[in-house]
Amino acid sequence: MSNLGGSMKIRIVSCRIISQESITERIRRMVLQAPEIAREAKPGQFLHVRVHPSWDPLLRRPFSIHAADGNTGRIVLLYRVIGKGTEFLRSLGEGDSVDAMGPLGNGFHLGRNLSPALVIAGGLGSAPAFFLISRLLETGRPVTFLWGTRSAAEIFGLDRFRAEGVDIRLATDDGSLGRAGTVTGLLKEFLKEKKSLENLEGFVCGPKPMLAAVQALAGGMPFPVQACLEERMACGTGVCQGCAVKMRSGSLGMVCSDGPVFPLEEVDFGG
Amino acid sequence: MAVDLSVRIGSLVLKNPILTASGTFGYGTEYSEYFDPSRLGGIVTKTITLEPRAGNPMPRIAETPAGMLNSIGLANVGVERYIAEKLPLLERLDTAVITNVAGNTADEFGALIRRLDGLGRIDAFEINISCPNLKKDGLAFGMDAEATRDVVRRVRSETDKTVIVKLTPNVTDIVSVAQAAVEAGADALSLINTVLGMRVDIETRRPVLARITGGLSGPAIKPIALAKLFQVKRSIGVPLIGIGGIMTTGDALEFFFTGATAVQVGTLNFIDPSGSVSILAGLVRWCEDRNISSFSSIIGTLVLESPSKP
Repeated sequence: MSNLGGSMKIRIVSCRIISQESITERIRRMVLQAPEIAREAKPGQFLHVRVHPSWDPLLRRPFSIHAADGNTGRIVLLYRVIGKGTEFLRSLGEGDSVDAMGPLGNGFHLGRNLSPALVIAGGLGSAPAFFLISRLLETGRPVTFLWGTRSAAEIFGLDRFRAEGVDIRLATDDGSLGRAGTVTGLLKEFLKEKKSLENLEGFVCGPKPMLAAVQALAGGMPFPVQACLEERMACGTGVCQGCAVKMRSGSLGMVCSDGPVFPLEEVDFGG
Repeated sequence: MAVDLSVRIGSLVLKNPILTASGTFGYGTEYSEYFDPSRLGGIVTKTITLEPRAGNPMPRIAETPAGMLNSIGLANVGVERYIAEKLPLLERLDTAVITNVAGNTADEFGALIRRLDGLGRIDAFEINISCPNLKKDGLAFGMDAEATRDVVRRVRSETDKTVIVKLTPNVTDIVSVAQAAVEAGADALSLINTVLGMRVDIETRRPVLARITGGLSGPAIKPIALAKLFQVKRSIGVPLIGIGGIMTTGDALEFFFTGATAVQVGTLNFIDPSGSVSILAGLVRWCEDRNISSFSSIIGTLVLESPSKP
């Protein structure tokens, strides 16, 4: 615990790992005990996790919060094993601890809007999307969920949402489940078949190229869309200015502290 | 026993020798949620320029073994907004404020200091002649002794406040640049700024940073920083401020023994925002455990002669 100032908000906590499991060979699901964070967390926010106690790898890794339960004090993170840091994270087991900073960033703005929600996720965009869908369902909003991944193996955890009446449509790059191709194909279909789009509110989570493809369809989306961006970060708090993203206004936004959620139409993905 | 941690840098007395490094601590209050910055000896602001700067194109950070590369490009709000919006936030802090400045020409440095000198909250200036991200190919004033002399002379002519000149390690002979800075009126030197570095993505064969090269910081550069400090300490009399990969109290002690009067904690702030005060707490304990009542007595106590035989 690095809270030395007394009255300061506690922001860095050592979290015990409750469990870790593989969803695919590379995608991992990690459950942490972190009551303060679980109480506060909002969909779209992230934890900045120190993956290794040494200085190599040096920087924290940002992970979107996949689920948070204030009652049990538990937080779920999803991550893809891609390098030294996540390899080490994979090796940790029940009872080990990780040092986590957060919740950081601004989550989705949910307000009092009770209109039907369209949630679009590409790949591990499911990490924030699942948390978001849970909260949308809690307020009784009808949810359509479009999700594209590489293959059927990367599709998981949908039974709960199906049981709650979420309209789920899937796409896989290799065609092993759902529509063959990307999630933008699903989105085109959806936009074509829906008669009244004006009432909708859109939410999109995923890698930048996918967000850019969704933005390119904006002409067919006469409703507001919030986008949750992924970016490499150093500090996670807006200080280092490393995770800047260009805005169409010409200014820069920091994904960590101005985002990671931005109005989709404001982001300049060409930059 | 209370340890006297105070040190003197030019006309400035710091209550303790732990500072934050420019570019890693925002304008001074960003990390206030994590700890009270008044506990530090001082804070060095992000580099301020005459005009606002958005910084370099993205990507502008990359991780390296025990280090990170950045080519942020001195993104800052510019001197006028710094004065109007950022400096007032530091009014209530009980710590030294060291404003770091950079210009494209010696005249710009002069204009910046003229604009800032009358502001009471600023205790000292750190002159950034060494950022590798300001010009093409990592060039900086600090790579040339005569260019350094020009800049420091201009700065000196505009202020009586303490002037700290921040040196780059990306030179053949850092001592000649250090000498030029001191001859032109620098009260103290801080070293080192980042080391010019690069990374390549082997999938795309592209440099990872949009600007190709950037500044390396973190534990990876600590040995370089110590060697440069040692070289400068041998021939320069003004107080030196050590910078480069300081993550622990032990790291800071290496710099103090080698001759640093104070240190700046940089990259650690990104990993542990309150890391600087943890280093300070460790330093107090280290002094107490050894009954050292005055911290300054340990500065430059590096042992060089071989141990005497009994």
